[in-house]
This record gives sequence, C-alpha cells and structure tokens, in this order.
Amino acid sequence: MDAIIKFANSIFQPIIDLGAAPMMFILLTLLAVLMRVKVSKALEGGLKLAIALTGIGAVIDLLTGNFAPALQDFVKSTGIELTITDVGWAPLATITWGSAYTLFFLMILIIVNLALLAMNKTNTLDVDIFNFWHLSITGLLVMFYSDNLFIATMLVIMLGVMKFINADLMKPTFNDLLDMPDSNPTTTTHLNFLLNPFIMLFDKFFEKVLPFLDKYDFDAAWLNEKIGFWGSKFAIGIYLGTFVGLLGQQPVSTIFALAFIGGTALELFSIVGTWFIAAMEPISQGITDFMSKRLKGRTFHIGIDWPFLAARPEMWAAANVIAPIMLFIALILPGNGILPLGGIIAIGLTPALLVVCRGKIIRMILIGTIMIPIFLWSGTAIAPFVTDVATSVGAMPSGIEGGALITHSTLEGPVEKFIAILVGKASDGFNLVPVLTALGALVAYLGLFAWYVKQMKKRNKVYKEEKKAA
Amino acid sequence: MIKILAACGAGINSSHQIKTAIEGEMKKRGYDVKVDAVVVKDINKDMMDQYDIFTPISKTKFSFDINIPLIEAGPILYRIPSMADPVFDELESVIKNLKK
Repeated sequence: MDAIIKFANSIFQPIIDLGAAPMMFILLTLLAVLMRVKVSKALEGGLKLAIALTGIGAVIDLLTGNFAPALQDFVKSTGIELTITDVGWAPLATITWGSAYTLFFLMILIIVNLALLAMNKTNTLDVDIFNFWHLSITGLLVMFYSDNLFIATMLVIMLGVMKFINADLMKPTFNDLLDMPDSNPTTTTHLNFLLNPFIMLFDKFFEKVLPFLDKYDFDAAWLNEKIGFWGSKFAIGIYLGTFVGLLGQQPVSTIFALAFIGGTALELFSIVGTWFIAAMEPISQGITDFMSKRLKGRTFHIGIDWPFLAARPEMWAAANVIAPIMLFIALILPGNGILPLGGIIAIGLTPALLVVCRGKIIRMILIGTIMIPIFLWSGTAIAPFVTDVATSVGAMPSGIEGGALITHSTLEGPVEKFIAILVGKASDGFNLVPVLTALGALVAYLGLFAWYVKQMKKRNKVYKEEKKAA
Repeated sequence: MIKILAACGAGINSSHQIKTAIEGEMKKRGYDVKVDAVVVKDINKDMMDQYDIFTPISKTKFSFDINIPLIEAGPILYRIPSMADPVFDELESVIKNLKK
C-alpha cells in the first residue's frame, strides 16, 4: 500500500500543486477517456467540473463574506452562539469532488458493486455516480483525523455494502409508494436512507404507543400549494438574511443587503450545482456502459438518485413544516453552532422519513423533529473539517482568515459522520480508549442495522402475500 | 418549438439528466424541443400551462389536474439505451400528435 501511495504521489504531486480545479479537470477527463468516453465529451465534463469548482468558491465567498460579520453581531446582541454558515449541499458536493480521493473511493465502490452483483449478494447496479461523494466525504473525514487511507477505505466499503443491501430491501416499498409495476427497476442507494433504522425505532414506538396519531394525517399536496413560492430557495434566503440582520441589530441597508444576498446565494448554489451535474454526465454514462457490458444476461435493479420519491407530496410537506421547527431547535439546542440557511429544507432527511413511515405525514413530522438535533450536532462536528477541505481545494479564498466556518445543516448520513470521527480518532495512534469507543459505536450501529434488515424483510414478506392475495 | 417541462426532487440532478438526454435524442430525431428542469414542489398550474408536454421522473400527485400529455421519464436515468428508447419513442409520437 505504502509503495503504491509513494508511486502515486510522485506522479500526482505536480498535478496536485496546480490546485484543485486544474487537477480535477485533468483527472476527470483522463478517467472518462479511460472509460471509453469520446475525447471531446470527456473534455467537456472535465472543464465543466473546473468551472463548477471555481463558481461555487465565488458564491461561498459572497455568502460567508457578508454573513460571517453579521453572524458575529448576531451572537453579540443575542448571546446565541451560532457562527457557522450553513451553505447547503451543493458546495459540499463540489468541494468533495474537488478532492482526488473521491475518484479513488469511486473506483473502489464500483468494484465492490460489481463483486456483490457477481456473488448475488445484491441485486442493485448503482449508476448514481454523482452521489458517490457522500461516502467519499465520510472517508475524507476519517483521514482528517488519522491520515489513514486504509481504515478510511474499509469504512467506505462497509457503508457501501450496507447501502447496496438497503437498496434491495427498500425496493418493494418504492413499488408500493409510487405504484410501480414489478418490472420497474428503479431503486436508490442514497446515503440518507441509512438513517432508516433510527427512524424505524421511533416509527415502531408510535405504532405501538400512539397509533391514533395517523387519524390526523392531512392532504400534503394541498399544503404545498398553499405554501407556494414562500417555500422556494430565494424566499428562504431572504427570510434568513432578514432574521440574522434584525437580531444582529444591523442598519436597515445591511438588513436588505443580507436578505438579498441570502436569496441570491441560495439560487446561485443550485445553478452552479447544475454545471456540476453536467460535468459528471459523460463519466456517469461511461461507467454505466462499462458495468452493464460486464453484466450481460443478468437482470438487476438500477440505483439512481432519490428524487423519484419527490413525486410524493408528503416528502415536501414534511420538509416545509420541519424548516421553521429546525430554526427554533437550532436557537435553543446546546452544542449546536449552526444557524440553518442553505440546508433548511431537509432533503437529506425527508426521503428516509417517507420510506419508513410510508407517507404517514404526522409521524414523518414528529420523527423528523426528533432527528433534527442529530443533524445539527453532526453538522457542527464536521464544520472544521469541511472548512479545511474547502480551503485546501481553493473554494474558500478569504473566509478562513476571519475564522469563519462553513457546513451543511442537513447533510445526509449524520450518524455515519460521528462513526467516521470516532474511527478516525481511533486510527490516530490506536490508543485503547478511542479504539474501544469506536468499536463499541460500530457494534451498536451494525446491530441496529441488523434489526432493521429483519423488520424490512418482514415488511417485504407482507407485500408479497398481499400481491398473492390480490 | 415544443416546450417540455421536466421535474425532479431537487431540480438539479435527475431533471437535468432528463433534460440533457431528451434534448440530445430529439435533436437527433429531427425535432426542435426545449426542456426546462424544475423542482416538483415549485410547479403550479400557471407554470404547467406554459408547456406542451410534462416529463416528470415518476408518477406525481398535484392538487390540480394536468391538461397536457404526461410521459414518465424515469427510465432515461438508468442510462441503458434499451430502457430509455421506449420513453423517447413515446415522446416522439406525442410530439407528432401535437402537430406544431
């Protein structure tokens, strides 16, 4: 392993020294060509990634440059210590794809996927290449604490295997929720669904103890229409800018400026996000061609990004209702350092709520509220790491000097972030106490997952029987 | 020109893949189409009325009725030609019927 890394370093160091955007332009283009993508298409993808990285840096700068001083004043005048800027998912995804390790973890996970398919341990082919960053950021987190690539890779593989198993387990529920015929191969390996076991604990509790709750379920589509544009990105940026400005006792002109900068930044994040998706397009197609060629004659489900579930209005109704609740919790939660902004519409949480509670909206909102502190604590815990990575890939030009930190308040996989931190700390020197803590956490985490697998198998058996009876 | 509305959960990843794929394939087949990609939750009746065809990622419930042809575009995301082609074929026949 060491020799490989040394050899890789001698080749990669000059490229790394160019900076993140040029480096990823070169690496992504080369990888796409290697996957037999046409050279012009491969170049298009590589260049788009470079401008997405540069663009996201510019927007982060706009947002933190204006919000960081106002947040300081907010802390002074309210005494509430919320100084971390919540930039939402797009900057985190872009920053993670700015690290060459992400391509390494991507290759490892593709091999794991193909191996599991070959051994019939999963029935899911993952073509959602873009979202491999979720596990990469977990691996990078381990390395932030320990610099141990081997342990980081092991953790990434473990979580990857769990994601594939989970994609198989959830398939009948997707068919039920979206009225898909059995012939439809859609499933997803998205990381947010690894929260399912935790949500299911509470779901079982509500089912046993408070079953009457479901009587109060309301029409989610109706609620979403009433909310209308008031729940859209720019509107949320405007509220939160105003909120920070008012409580930070800023002059009226600054309050307006913060409101409009908040709105602008949230809209720009998703626009730059689309460049970044376009950048991954050629390589995604190349990898899919590569994998499906090797699986001729085998039928399988196909893992794509979670948004096919967005067709269910309960998911949005829950996200809309949870947003103000999250803001309130953030203000009073001990140990939280984030003022929710970019991540306040919790799409890293509500798809999992939908799958476990199967659209029972009151349960979704209640359990979602219970989960919010985990997300806020996790987001707070990873802020120094996120800021460090952002700086190292050049996406955070000036923020660091003022000590400004960035994070994502509702990043999928909050529990996995804590596991990664514990594993990372344990791998740094392998002292007894941190190692035992990490092992204990892993045992508890895997135990809960095993219980969840059993529950899902029970659920899927019922689906099967219902189908037979029909 | 045919105006198509694509939709998914974040208005970023899946719907943009659908947009790119439809625009590319329809151009190849000789049709002039423009696809806009949006978030499902931002769609209202006024927006829908401005389009000729609706291509959501999966079956979607709205509080209003949809009066334009609807084609589920999810299979495009599997990135496997034999699965995506039926979607494109259906789209082509709908476009022919629109007679624009």
